[in-house]
Amino acid sequence: MRRAVAPLLAVTVALVLADSAVVTLALPDILLHLDATVTEVAWVLIAYNLVLGVVAVPTAMGLVKVPPRLFSAVGIAAFAGASAWCAFADSIEVLIIARCLQALGGAFALVGCLELLVAAYGERRGVSTWVMAGVVGTAAGPFAGGLLTDLISWQAIFVVQVPFAVLAVPAALAIWTARPLAGDRHRPDLRANLTLALLSAALTAALFLLVLLLVEGWRHSPATAAITVSVVPAAALLANPLARLLRPTHAAEVGAGCLLVAGGLVGLAIPPSSDLAWTIAPQALVGLGLGLTVDQLTYRAMELRLPRAKHAAWTIGSRHLGIVAGLLVLTPVFTADLLDAQEPAQEAITALVIDAPLPADDKIALARSLGQELQGERGRVPDLSPAFDRVEVAPEDRPALGDLEAALDEQLERAATRAFRDSFLIGAGIALLALLTVLVPRRRQDRRPA
Amino acid sequence: MSPAARALGLPALALVLVAVVLGVQLAQDGGDFEPARTADPCAPREVTSQSDGIEGLTERLVLLGIDGAACRLDVSREELTLEIGQGAEPTDAEVDALREGLHAAVQRLDDDGDLPPISDLTDEALDNADLNRFLEAAIRALPDRVVDGALKTDDVLDRAIDDLDLRRLLNDLDDADELNQQVAASVEQAVKDALLDRLRNLI
Repeated sequence: MRRAVAPLLAVTVALVLADSAVVTLALPDILLHLDATVTEVAWVLIAYNLVLGVVAVPTAMGLVKVPPRLFSAVGIAAFAGASAWCAFADSIEVLIIARCLQALGGAFALVGCLELLVAAYGERRGVSTWVMAGVVGTAAGPFAGGLLTDLISWQAIFVVQVPFAVLAVPAALAIWTARPLAGDRHRPDLRANLTLALLSAALTAALFLLVLLLVEGWRHSPATAAITVSVVPAAALLANPLARLLRPTHAAEVGAGCLLVAGGLVGLAIPPSSDLAWTIAPQALVGLGLGLTVDQLTYRAMELRLPRAKHAAWTIGSRHLGIVAGLLVLTPVFTADLLDAQEPAQEAITALVIDAPLPADDKIALARSLGQELQGERGRVPDLSPAFDRVEVAPEDRPALGDLEAALDEQLERAATRAFRDSFLIGAGIALLALLTVLVPRRRQDRRPA
Repeated sequence: MSPAARALGLPALALVLVAVVLGVQLAQDGGDFEPARTADPCAPREVTSQSDGIEGLTERLVLLGIDGAACRLDVSREELTLEIGQGAEPTDAEVDALREGLHAAVQRLDDDGDLPPISDLTDEALDNADLNRFLEAAIRALPDRVVDGALKTDDVLDRAIDDLDLRRLLNDLDDADELNQQVAASVEQAVKDALLDRLRNLI
């Protein structure tokens, strides 16, 4: 049991950070199940990241007054309780409130677990485990959430977290460690935290928008989308061996990571088709970039700085406020682009229906059916198959009707891809901004904390 | 490993990876995966129909007519179709443009030699026409060459287009049966009227 204590705490850290993006693939299901709007459902993501980002540093300041084991146990219990509440939420408002409480508990759990992992493993290994658990959680969140949504339901995402968290409460109480010393010994590393915030904003495009494109734009199931986006965490795991091989300097590693994230996002902006294969290489670039940067920047922001928990909290605040900034910048852009894409998509669909090799009566019936289907959508990419199901044609015309349905679906995929392009490119631009923070030379006195 | 290699190795590798991925995507027309652009309605377009007889001819005329109308209104064919298909009251300009477009379509099919001789349409028109049995028998007895010599398809169609209540037709777009009925009735009426005129002249 003793051996399981620290791994359980690491899993808790991964869960809390995975929750930042874990519901991304479940958003369409939540939207339908709770009868929410697109903006409301976006707040399921934004609220969690906003609360986690805002409360992380104040929470860490409270750690000097309460023993870390109690601090962590209370946080993990609150996180577990709020997760259960999320699963049983019967309205979008309740879900958003539960997500806020989940983030609050998560913030206590994160800073407390850092102290406990250091107590269990020692400074270097403890910090390293905490950082890596966070990277894996962040990268794997959409993958795990998509699989659970498709195989069970969106509520399952929250239910499965409860037993892990419940087990982690006694694990936290089992580690005795002293309270960290009060007082700010070192200033936060502004550059590392700023780079983290910018990269997190850029990664939002990959972790949030890509899954939306796959599920909403290209109409793949959450499970298919989850398997597809698993390329990001897989590539992130390859980053460390690559870095060990080339032994780059800190700036080179972070700079290369920013470049890879930017390049990957440009790649996602310009796929030659909606074939999932075209997302693999760009995602691999993003994953490699994520693996090279997030842990390096987190280490750099915490390295030799005390109090440890407070500087860790600065990294959490930077990352999650970066994600919020990314969502707030990118969501209006892609929703506006999605609306703008309607007109060319409708015109392309109209052209194909007019020119279809079908009898005129069938074309008119289909046009009417398509019109009904398009009116039923709420700013989402429509599913045209019900419109085709309602139209009855002669047996000899069925192949032509099938070809037409495939052609119309492709036009919708083209329109959705075009609608997401600007957001991916903005994400790439933000990643290049992060690169700029690396390229600006450091002042001599900034190189190490005093 | 030298300091230069440690400083430049990984960024150089990153640049190469990004260049390869983006290069392959651009070589495969990455960035061009967009909705199909609408064609210029003023440019000649080939139109076909799966139907025969009056229905097929009507469909081709309507397709060319919408092109012509869109060209006159300086919008795309699809934009005009969506505009009138979404239930908006057609403007006078749209009705006039559509009528002119239909006349131009008749001219285009005639110029291309794609208009069938009128005798190909008379049987269908007579089947649906509520004529006196003796008169119908008399018209059917006329040899095709006599009918074709007496009547030009383009004249008949132009007459049908002039007689069409386009505003009512556009308001009934949701009802396919009503739409077909109106168009077919108008063409049939024009064929019938022209034949009767010619028959009277012969008598």
